[in-house]
Amino acid sequence: MTIEVDIEKEFYGRKHGKKGENPSFSMNCSFDADSGFSVLFGCSGSGKTTALRCIAGLEIPDAGAIKINGSIYFDSRKKINLPPQKRKIGYMFQENALFPHMNVRQNIEFGLKGLRSVEKTKRANEMLVLVGIEELEFAYPDELSGGQKQKVALARALAPDPEILLLDEPFSSLDTVVRVKLRKELRMIQKGLGIPVIFITHDPVEAFTMADRMIVFDGGRVQQTGSPEDIFYHPKSRYLAELVGFSNLFDDAVIEGHGQGAECTFLWSLGTGITAPYIERTAGERVSWGIRPENIELVCRKNIHAIRKENRKNLFDGTIMSVVNKGTSRIMSLILAESEDVLKVEVANRVFDSLKIETGDECTVRLRTSDMIVF
Amino acid sequence: MFQVVMSPLLLTLKIAAVSTFFVTFLGILIAYVLAKKEFSGKWLADALVTLPLILPPTVTGYILVILLGKNGILGNIFTEITGKGILFTWQAAAIAAFVVSLPLMVKTAASAIGTVDRSVEEAARILGRNELETALFITLPLAKKGVIAGCILSFARAVGEFGATLMVAGNIPGKTGTMPLSIYGAYQTGNNELASLLVIVLVAISFLTIAATSRLAEK
Repeated sequence: MTIEVDIEKEFYGRKHGKKGENPSFSMNCSFDADSGFSVLFGCSGSGKTTALRCIAGLEIPDAGAIKINGSIYFDSRKKINLPPQKRKIGYMFQENALFPHMNVRQNIEFGLKGLRSVEKTKRANEMLVLVGIEELEFAYPDELSGGQKQKVALARALAPDPEILLLDEPFSSLDTVVRVKLRKELRMIQKGLGIPVIFITHDPVEAFTMADRMIVFDGGRVQQTGSPEDIFYHPKSRYLAELVGFSNLFDDAVIEGHGQGAECTFLWSLGTGITAPYIERTAGERVSWGIRPENIELVCRKNIHAIRKENRKNLFDGTIMSVVNKGTSRIMSLILAESEDVLKVEVANRVFDSLKIETGDECTVRLRTSDMIVF
Repeated sequence: MFQVVMSPLLLTLKIAAVSTFFVTFLGILIAYVLAKKEFSGKWLADALVTLPLILPPTVTGYILVILLGKNGILGNIFTEITGKGILFTWQAAAIAAFVVSLPLMVKTAASAIGTVDRSVEEAARILGRNELETALFITLPLAKKGVIAGCILSFARAVGEFGATLMVAGNIPGKTGTMPLSIYGAYQTGNNELASLLVIVLVAISFLTIAATSRLAEK
């Protein structure tokens, strides 16, 4: 099963934009997906939903092609554009989009056109069992909770046995507990059925926990594709780094040179020399670098002198300016002694409590070269 | 006395029923197109349908007289087919009622159709239904209240139609003398007793119609 998408579409501020005017938003994206769980990731307005709507046939691209498993859904050159009802797609909307005048069973059976009523009943039963809502079959949508509604929506989308399932932030309006539970259930159902899924989210945690493969959108374009580990630990651009939680980003670094055998690059940043991962740039060039707050290591003050003697590499002294408790960890803002830049450091609450440090204290941190990214 | 009341009453109900029947079908169609489709000249179509709502009924009536007269386009076609003129018949009164009540149906139904959640309709399309099926099974059932309200308003407007009817159908007792026309005729000739009776019957009928249909809409 393969999904190939390569489309362009321009949007205009006014309803009837004229050709030649500057579009208010232009999308030009190309990506493919396979039978796994693909996540379209990006912030609001990055074009994720538009891309998904184009695959479903709810919007028509200006140009390009969409192929699902070899059959052409859209091709501007061959003038092919299958209407949504001819595409074998399951779709879940952000707001469930259930039919309010039909009960759960009728909602699920709506997509089973052409089947005999015995078969419809059988298929609907299977779906009710699959998502675990057998007892709700005669309830109406306005009698259901948010989580139950999305389960019905999932059952309805899967009932006609679609070739591919598209989900547009289906859990974004649910509370955390229900959301986490539904994510797990959806992942299990997807694995069980082996159906390819394209899932939209702007939530990094959701993307990371669900994706086999991530496709990152920005400004209507695909910025990077890869495994969640790739995206989260090796983002290729500053925008992406910020999106996936590199809250320590510095843009004024200058390359001083490279280590032997291209194993590292020496930067001048934060008023000192830093050993960073190797980047293929020449000395004197400006680069940006970053590190995740949770990857910064707090060095114990007790044996600080020994550590300093042994290896001064990437050690920073600073003063704790503020501490924010995130529940399971604390985020400290550290003002660095040498440059007065601020470094965010995340420390697990157990560690933080055992260190007995507080705002105003001085402390030392170490940045591991392998945790840093440079671009 | 019974005959004097029943004759205009039945005629009025017949004209209103026929008019509302056609208004319902054409009105829903026009409302759907205006609410859902983008096409050039849409404002013109909208304006033409709405016009009878704003024009004085005598103006609508006058235009209809021209269209339905012997030399008018519609009158000509009718004469070709039936061999008779259409003016001063109950059919002409029904056409007048149709024209003046159509905008009420279109406006009410279009706003109801326009408020149906688009993603619900899109869900139906993705579930394998074409646009007609989606309109019949999803959009219209969800816009039901607006459509029924449009029917009630159109029916009431048709029952109460006076000016345009007078111009295209005259006030021929037993033939085109509808309730409003008969009330006016009775009042003109000083038969206040009959006028009062007709007014009471008309008010009662209108009240019952609205009460019955609004209960229907609640279901």
